Amino acid sequence: MSSVQPSFFHNTWLIAKREYVERIRAKSFIVMTVLIPALMGGLTFAMNYATGKNAKSDVNLAIVTQDSRFGLDLQQELAKHKHPKITANVLSPQGGGADTRLTLEGELKSKDLDGYLWVTPPVSEHAAPTFEWKTRARGYINTQNELSESIRTVLTRQGLAHTGMGANDVEALMQPIDLDASVASKDSASSGEAVAFGLFFIMYFVILFYGMNVARSIIEEKTSRIFEVLLATIRPEEMMAGKVLGVGSVGLTQVGIWLLGAIALSAPGLISLGDDFAFHITARQGIFFVVFFFLGYTLYSGMAAALGAMTSSEQELQQMNIFLMLPLIACSGVVFTVVSDPSGTVAKVFSFIPFCTPLIMYVRIAVSQPPWYEIAISIAGLVLTIAAILWFAARIYRVGILMYGKKPNLPELLRWLKYS
Amino acid sequence: MSIVELHNVRKAYDTKIAVHGLSFKIEPGTMFGLLGPNGSGKTSSIRMMIGITVPDSGTVSLFGQPFDRSQLIRVGYLPEERGLYKKMNVLDQLVFLGQLHGLDAATAKKRSLIWCERMEITEAIPKKTEELSKGMQQKIQFIASLLHEPDLIIMDEPFSGLDPVNATLLQDTLVDLRKEGKAVLFSTHRMDQVEKLCDEIALIANGHLLLSGSMREVKSTYPRNRVQVVFEGSDAFLKHPAIEEAKNYSGHAEIKLAPSSDLAAASNAVLAEALTGARISRFEVMEPTLEEIFIERVTAQNAANANANGVAHV
Repeated sequence: MSSVQPSFFHNTWLIAKREYVERIRAKSFIVMTVLIPALMGGLTFAMNYATGKNAKSDVNLAIVTQDSRFGLDLQQELAKHKHPKITANVLSPQGGGADTRLTLEGELKSKDLDGYLWVTPPVSEHAAPTFEWKTRARGYINTQNELSESIRTVLTRQGLAHTGMGANDVEALMQPIDLDASVASKDSASSGEAVAFGLFFIMYFVILFYGMNVARSIIEEKTSRIFEVLLATIRPEEMMAGKVLGVGSVGLTQVGIWLLGAIALSAPGLISLGDDFAFHITARQGIFFVVFFFLGYTLYSGMAAALGAMTSSEQELQQMNIFLMLPLIACSGVVFTVVSDPSGTVAKVFSFIPFCTPLIMYVRIAVSQPPWYEIAISIAGLVLTIAAILWFAARIYRVGILMYGKKPNLPELLRWLKYS
Repeated sequence: MSIVELHNVRKAYDTKIAVHGLSFKIEPGTMFGLLGPNGSGKTSSIRMMIGITVPDSGTVSLFGQPFDRSQLIRVGYLPEERGLYKKMNVLDQLVFLGQLHGLDAATAKKRSLIWCERMEITEAIPKKTEELSKGMQQKIQFIASLLHEPDLIIMDEPFSGLDPVNATLLQDTLVDLRKEGKAVLFSTHRMDQVEKLCDEIALIANGHLLLSGSMREVKSTYPRNRVQVVFEGSDAFLKHPAIEEAKNYSGHAEIKLAPSSDLAAASNAVLAEALTGARISRFEVMEPTLEEIFIERVTAQNAANANANGVAHV
């Protein structure tokens, strides 16, 4: 028996190597590797370009206020913005306001105006005025940030002046603080979210795609009967392990190429995609990506191997694919909730469902810092599930691979589990 | 030491029993024919010999030891249907399969090239398997099962899909391997091949062993009641009362003599009758051919089964 143990690795290695080399050499691999990022990149670029154009074009707005001093101050303050350039006219409401509003709505429709800010004077001495911002199109909602920032500046300045501070002191105090603004925590958080989404979808597609590849290649071997030659020397467990490892390495290679490509592209001096598009992956995000990708892929390819062994044609497999896709679809359904509230109930529950752990726990880690014991428990649950799935799949594989033509029913499946 | 020994092996699948208490032995240096109609349990038996499936009861021994997977490295197996990676290059494929049988890559490559030459398919070496004809693929499969110089060679329908020239090439190769002391088991429906090649046979039907033994033993249990006649002229002698059944293929008659205590006398009488009206160029008295034995035994067994079932239903 001593000669059997080392040959497990030898045979698994041979199967994995063959699977890897043949797949990497295939034209479809090269096409996929180039085409998918090209498509995704093109899409992102187009979207960025489209939204960027709206946000970056000049904004022409009107300020309606009875307080002309406030109006002029705000006009001045808004004029400081360069991206986008904001020009504002100050109006005072005519005819109780209704006439002015009518005119402005007309101008919005005729696109002479991008939006207007309606200032209602405070009810009492110490209350703040209320503001209403109406825009022509959704794109100008972005201008809201600049607008509220400027309003706050103006109000603060007025307030300070009101307390008797000298104009120079006020000006000194209100110096724009450029440095803080550019590294403000909000910016890096949103870029972290973007990376998390990006990695989530890469993981999602690669797990699904390569999981299905495992199933497909098992069916291919079943129909070509090659497994009969293989089983005459090696064990079904070795075959399955080799296949899962080989196909998975192809997936990792592909993701590796994509990530290296992304890093190379975003490196300074090559192609600048703009500050908003910078692709910063932290070491933590990278390491957990590999860990969860590996675990997630093993889980799903184990399931796929069982499905492949149970079915005997591509069509049949497609009907069964729903079992693979359902949990993944559920994950992508909640991912937005998880990103916006990474320690909320939904995020917690889904990150402990083993079939969702790889994706959801990973996203939580990418955008926040979940407690270490939550990570540990989720990984432990995942590993146990993987062990169970692989045990189950190996049994199914051993019997299922020798059956053709007929899809097993549930009692048969249960009986298969008992075969040695 | 027997190379293969099955002892009372039984295998049942969900709906039917594929093999009932099968026992036989294969000795070194013999060519063993495993015969039987479709679905008789040939492939099921072979699969248990090489550990693809495990018998429900009974034992399988290889090389004098109880079955163990580590012995499989000494077995070469050619499955009934082609099992090759279609998209893979021929040489890569052979090297891969050789490595799975414990060869290192260099040895596997060297032997592959030698075998390709011997099998006259050197032009196929750089091609993808799917580009090859069925016969060529069969030869690749044949080579793949022999690269690691196995002591037991198991071939499930090795000659199917081959033209006579290539079938002969494979046959001659198997004969050479037997001379080297290897044990060769092959299963087939082609009785003429078995008759020509095999030293030992086992005939199974519906999972039961109907007969087994050396070719001579098997044949000697049957009376020499067959006569082959090649003649010109009148075929009136085929009506002779000593003849139970006769088929005439335009000048080539196959005769089955009626049961008799003296078959030699009966055949002489037929010959005397034939000489009165026809010119005889060949007259041969012999045992039934293996094909006839096969058909007779299988038909008898089916009838017995039908009866048994009939009784069971009443």
